[in-house]
Amino acid sequence: MGRKVWMISAGRIPLRSTGREPENTSRDELCFLNVGYREAQVKVTLFYADREPVGPYKLDIPPRRIRRVRVNNLINPEAPPLDTDYGAVIESNVPIVVQFERTDTSESKPAMSPMMAFAT
Amino acid sequence: MSEWSNWSGSVRFTPAAVVVPENEEELARIIRRAGDEKQTVRVSGAGHSSTPLVQTPDILVSMKNFNGFVARDGATIAIRGGTMLTEANEIFLEHGLALENLGDVDLQALAGAIGTGTHGTGRNLRTMSNHLVGGRLVNGKGEIVDFSIKDDPDFTLAARVALGTLGIFTELRLKLVPAFHLHRKEWCTHIEDCMVNLDKLIASNRNFDFYWYPRSDEAKLRTLNIPGTGPKDIPYAWCQKERTGWSGDVIPRSRGNKFDEIEYWLPIENGPPCFEEIRQRIKDVHRKDVGWRVLYRTVAADEAMLSGAYGRASATISMHHNASLPHDAFFRDIEPYLTKYGGRPHWGKKHYQTATNLKQLYPRWDHFQGIRRSMDPEGVFMNAYLRTIFEEG
Ligand SMILES: Cc1cc2nc3c(=O)[nH]c(=O)nc-3n(C[C@H](O)[C@H](O)[C@H](O)COP(=O)(O)OP(=O)(O)OC[C@H]3O[C@@H](n4cnc5c(N)ncnc54)[C@H](O)[C@@H]3O)c2cc1C
Repeated sequence: MGRKVWMISAGRIPLRSTGREPENTSRDELCFLNVGYREAQVKVTLFYADREPVGPYKLDIPPRRIRRVRVNNLINPEAPPLDTDYGAVIESNVPIVVQFERTDTSESKPAMSPMMAFAT
Repeated sequence: MSEWSNWSGSVRFTPAAVVVPENEEELARIIRRAGDEKQTVRVSGAGHSSTPLVQTPDILVSMKNFNGFVARDGATIAIRGGTMLTEANEIFLEHGLALENLGDVDLQALAGAIGTGTHGTGRNLRTMSNHLVGGRLVNGKGEIVDFSIKDDPDFTLAARVALGTLGIFTELRLKLVPAFHLHRKEWCTHIEDCMVNLDKLIASNRNFDFYWYPRSDEAKLRTLNIPGTGPKDIPYAWCQKERTGWSGDVIPRSRGNKFDEIEYWLPIENGPPCFEEIRQRIKDVHRKDVGWRVLYRTVAADEAMLSGAYGRASATISMHHNASLPHDAFFRDIEPYLTKYGGRPHWGKKHYQTATNLKQLYPRWDHFQGIRRSMDPEGVFMNAYLRTIFEEG
């Protein structure tokens, strides 16, 4: 169940956070669902407005599990800049489902906006 | 000639020649000829330093033919001057011996790691350089010098951290400790819990360090202890991983992701306030671009003249940045927080100090420079960068 390629075009990690972290860190999160019986090997490539894409960021999603990954915490090959527009292409070796969620705590009242990634 | 690059890619140059001598006599001839022709000779280890220590427009020496075991005398092993650290660790273990401590990787040349005072972590553990009790080198006059701590204590204390400026080691003699197992654990916690308990964590573990993650305020604690010793639990942290094995197998880890790094040695009591200021500064100013963790370690005091831990127990703090991203503005902005607390830069990592400041930081600076000039009066081993850190302009 799911698809092997997903896309996100509205990425932008808010710079400021309010409150104790990590629970209150402003963030973009990739939320993966792998209902299959094989581990999903996922490659994420980030696209920017004014420079070449960066990636792949490699992630594993165990079989029959969900996994949330903060885009803020990606580091290999490069830390994504905060407060910068980006898009993402997510490619997996097996079908998965990807959702995308932003938590913005720059104002003291956190705002959350879950979004579906676009599947091809 | 092809371009030479260090591990991270931030130091690049093209030497006129790379020479790979077969033996000491050939190396001595190369150095004498270079002296006659006013050329600069530098020797490279594994190129893991990110300062241009090995840069030369002229002759770069590779010691890859100087490899392996020479002799054993009790706990002292003589090893050839180009041996890589992974291989040296294997040789030591075959003899039931080990280095007391190691850094985060074992990919350096042994002489390269010793040459910049490479260290691991542990309140009672000294840098790798302190194992050096003697050896052989070819100095800047092309002479072969055999030295030992017994006969030449001052020379040995200079040679322990010398950035390849006294001569090129053809043999290193290291006094080791019996081989030992360590139990390594990695724990996750919040940075504030780590800092409140820092003294206890440092005191109750043989090796302790932590990483702070600037984009989440979490910390990873690493503890290594002789199996059966050290705390079983850390109430405010959860153990993520553990492993037991020979020290040489469990202390270093492999590193795939390339980075540049600035690291300073501080008097141990200045570590926590300095770290807290840096933490705040990174959160306030650098979090947009900086995602790499900050590493905090401790090292015991020693007597090597140019050691970062000379005469004082130290805390070390290092900032990393992805090698593909510009690091200069970040490191330059953080450095004053490190110097303000009496920090000394790691010789193999980025810093922006020159001789005028550096000489204030090392009580035996002049003594070292005197020994260096006697070994290399014509400055065959001095490149442009070394002149900026050793000679006042
Ligand atoms: C991934 C990574 C992890 C690291 N981890 C740590 C760590 O945990 N702790 C720490 O303190 N440092 C660490 N460092 C820094 C590293 O240990 C030092 O920069 C070390 O000097 C590199 O050794 P090298 O063999 O690559 O030597 P190079 O960088 O090639 O040379 C270092 C110096 O040694 C001299 N030299 C080399 N061979 C000889 C010889 N035969 N005779 C005389 N002089 C010689 C060179 O001329 C030069 O001045 C790390 C670096 C990297 C890239």
